[in-house]
Amino acid sequence: MSSINPALKGITVLIPGLLLSFTFDVFTPLVFLVFMITFTLLFSGIPIKKWLLFFSPFILLALGFAWMTMLYTSDAFAGGEHLFSVWRFEVTTGSVMVGISLALRSLCFVSLSLLFILTTDSTKFMLSLMQQLKLPPKITFGILAGYRFLPTFRYEYQVLRQAHRVRGIGRAKGIRERIYQFRRYAIPLMANAIRKAERTANAMESKGFTGSADRTHYHQMKISRKDWMFFGVINGALIITLLASYQLGYLNIFGHRFV
Amino acid sequence: MCVKHLNTPLVEAEKFSFGYEEDMLLKDLQFALEKEEFILVAGASGSGKSTLALCLNGLYPEAVEGTKKGAVRIHGRKTEDYEKGELSQRIGVVFQDPESQFCMMKVEDELAFVLENQKVPSEEMEQKIDRVLLETGLSEQKHRLIHELSGGQKQKIALASVLLMEPDLLILDEPTANLDPVSSLEFAELAAAVQRERRCAVMVIEHQPDDWMPFIKRVLLLGKDGRMKADGSPDQIYLQQKDLLIQEGVYLPQTFRRPESPLLLPESREEEIIRVENLSYSRKDRTILTDVNFSMRAGEFAAVTGENGTGKSTLLQLMARLLEPESGKVLFAGKNINDWEEGELRKRSGYVFQNPEHQFITDTVFEELAFGPELNGKRDAEAHVHRLLKTFHLTEQREASPFSLSGGQKRRLSVATMLEETPDILFFDEPTFGQDARTTEELMKIVLELRRKGTAIVFVTHDMDLVDKYCEKVLVLTEGTAVFNGKPETLWTEDELLARARLRLPHRIREREVYRVVD
Repeated sequence: MSSINPALKGITVLIPGLLLSFTFDVFTPLVFLVFMITFTLLFSGIPIKKWLLFFSPFILLALGFAWMTMLYTSDAFAGGEHLFSVWRFEVTTGSVMVGISLALRSLCFVSLSLLFILTTDSTKFMLSLMQQLKLPPKITFGILAGYRFLPTFRYEYQVLRQAHRVRGIGRAKGIRERIYQFRRYAIPLMANAIRKAERTANAMESKGFTGSADRTHYHQMKISRKDWMFFGVINGALIITLLASYQLGYLNIFGHRFV
Repeated sequence: MCVKHLNTPLVEAEKFSFGYEEDMLLKDLQFALEKEEFILVAGASGSGKSTLALCLNGLYPEAVEGTKKGAVRIHGRKTEDYEKGELSQRIGVVFQDPESQFCMMKVEDELAFVLENQKVPSEEMEQKIDRVLLETGLSEQKHRLIHELSGGQKQKIALASVLLMEPDLLILDEPTANLDPVSSLEFAELAAAVQRERRCAVMVIEHQPDDWMPFIKRVLLLGKDGRMKADGSPDQIYLQQKDLLIQEGVYLPQTFRRPESPLLLPESREEEIIRVENLSYSRKDRTILTDVNFSMRAGEFAAVTGENGTGKSTLLQLMARLLEPESGKVLFAGKNINDWEEGELRKRSGYVFQNPEHQFITDTVFEELAFGPELNGKRDAEAHVHRLLKTFHLTEQREASPFSLSGGQKRRLSVATMLEETPDILFFDEPTFGQDARTTEELMKIVLELRRKGTAIVFVTHDMDLVDKYCEKVLVLTEGTAVFNGKPETLWTEDELLARARLRLPHRIREREVYRVVD
C-alpha cells in the first residue's frame, strides 16, 4: 500500500470523502465503511493493533456527533414518529437516522484518512505533488523544510517552560494571566523560528536552490497500473455502493430520496 | 580566455561595502583571494563576518533589502553578472548551526537535493552521492535520518552536500562552534584533507581557530566597525598586532599564548551544599542516567562534561528540580530537594540556560531585573535593580528590549536575572557555546565574583581549557554513567578515559607533553 503513488492515493481517497458528505441515509455509509475496514485490514499492510489504536478514539467522537445532530436536526429532516424527548428537544425517527448517518459518514472519513496517512511517507507525498500535480518546488521544499522544525519546536517549548519556572512563574491562573503567558512563550518561540527559517533558506539557496521547476529528480515518482487499480477498486466500490443503495431505495442525497 | 584566467584572482573585493539603508556593516573592503588559498577571517561577533560570506556567494544583497557599493569579482566577473544560483555553486558555504541547514529528512535525499538543483541526470546521482560520502567518511550514514545524527556528523553532511557542487571556494562559517572538541578537530582535519585533494580555496570564519591553525596560511582581520584591520600571515597578525587584537576583542589562538596555569582559588568551605545519591533517570524506555553520585561544597566550582547526548543537561535539570528523578535523591542544603517550597528553592538556586532568550519574560531590561524582587515583594527592589544594572554594565540598555541586545549583553542579563539574592548554587548549561572571547571572559569574571561570595557553581561544558583553569572538580559522563569524579589534574592523566568520553586534553597539558617529547 505504501508503494502506491501518493498524489494519486490522495485523490483516490478524496473522491469518496467528498461524495459521501452528501448522502444522508444510513445504508450507503454503512456499506462503504464495512468495505473500507475490510479493505484496510486485508490489503493495506497496516498492523491491526496500530490501526485500532488510531481508529477507536474516533468512534467516541462520532457518537458525540450523532447525539448532538439528533437533538439539533433541522426541521427538513426531522420527520417521522416522535420517539422521546430530552429536556426541550424532541427526538424523532428522522433525526435518529440523520444522527446515525452522520456518525457513519465521519467514520468513513476517518478510515479513508487513516488509509492515506498511515501508508504515506511525507517526503514522497511532497515529491509526488511536485512531479505529478506540478506544485512549484518553492512550496513543496518549503513544507519539507518546515516539517523538520516540528520536533525542535516541541523541545524549545519544554525548555521555555523550565526557564520560566526558574524565574518563579507558576502555572497561569485566570484569562488575563493566560494571555500574558501565551505572549511570553510566543515571542521567543517566534524569534527563534524566524531566525531558523532564515538560516535554512540561506542554506538551501547556497546549495543552488532557485525555486525553478526545471530540475531533475532522484526519486522518480511514477503512476503505474497498480496505482490506477487502487483508484479503481476504491472508487468502484463507492459507485457499486451508491447504485445498490439507489436500487434498494435507501439513497438519500441532501434530503432528496430517489424512490 | 585561458590566459586571463591565470592572472585573475579567484575572488577580488574592490572598495566593497554592504549594509542596510544608511547603516553599513561592511566598509570599503579591499582584498583578493588566490586559488588554493587557505585563509582565516577573524573578528569579534557583530563584525559582519557571516554577512561577508553571503555577499561572496551572491545571496546578498538580493535575499535581503540591502545595499552595496563597490564590487566583488569572482573569476574576474562581477557577482551581479552571474545567473541566479550559478554563483552559489562555485562558492559553497557550510554554516554554523547544524540544526537549520537541511530541508530533507534523509542523508541521501539531502545530497540528492543539491544534485537536483544542478539538474544532474537522475542516473548519475547515486554514484556521485556514494563518492562524496566515501570522501567525507559517511558511507554508513547514507540511509539514516539526519535528525538522528550527532552534530559533528550533521556538519560533515553539510560539507558533503556543498562538495557535490564542486566549488572553487569553500566558505566555512563557524562550522565547529556547536560541536564537541573531538568532533571539532575531526571536522577541521576533514576540511583540510578535502582542500588538499580538491585543491580548492578555503575561507574559514571562526572565533576560536585553534583547530584550524595548522592549515591557515593567511589571516584577514575584520574590525567591529566593518573595516578590514589587518591582512597577513598568522605570525604577522598574532605576534605583531597583539594590541589591535585585544582592542577588537579577538581571541588569540593558544599556540600564540603562554599556556595559562590553573587559577589559585581560595579553598571552598567545608559545608556541603548539594548531594546527589544513586540518581537514575529514563525517558520513554531510554535510560539517560544510571546511578550517579556527586556532591559539592559551598563555593565550589565544578564542571560536568562528556559527549553530546550523555545526560549532562539532564543531570543539571535533576539537580535543580526541573525534572523528577526515577530513583535516588538530591539533597540541597541538607534537605531532600523535593521537600523545598518552590519559591524558596528558586531564590536559593539559579539556572542559566544555554540560550539566554529562553529566560526573558518582560519587555525591557529594567523590568526583567525587577521581576523577581517584585514577585517576592522586596521593598528596595528599585535600588537592587540599579545595582545589578551597574555591575553588569547594562545601565544604558535599561529601556531596551531584552531580545534586541547583543549576544554578550543577553548572556549578562540572563545571569543577572538569577541574582535577586546571592544564591547558594548556580547551574550553567553550556554558557560559553558559540560565544566570542570577550563574552566568555566577561562571564567568567562574574562567575568568579559570585564564587568568592560563596556561591557554588556548576558548568556543563566541553571546554577543557576552561575546566583546567577554573574548576576544582569535574564529573565525566559517558552513556549516562559517571566514569570520573575528581580533580581535573587527575583527569588529565587518564588518556583512555578521555578518549572514550571524546574529550581533549587542555592546551596547557598538550603543550607540556610536546616539551616532554622534545626533552
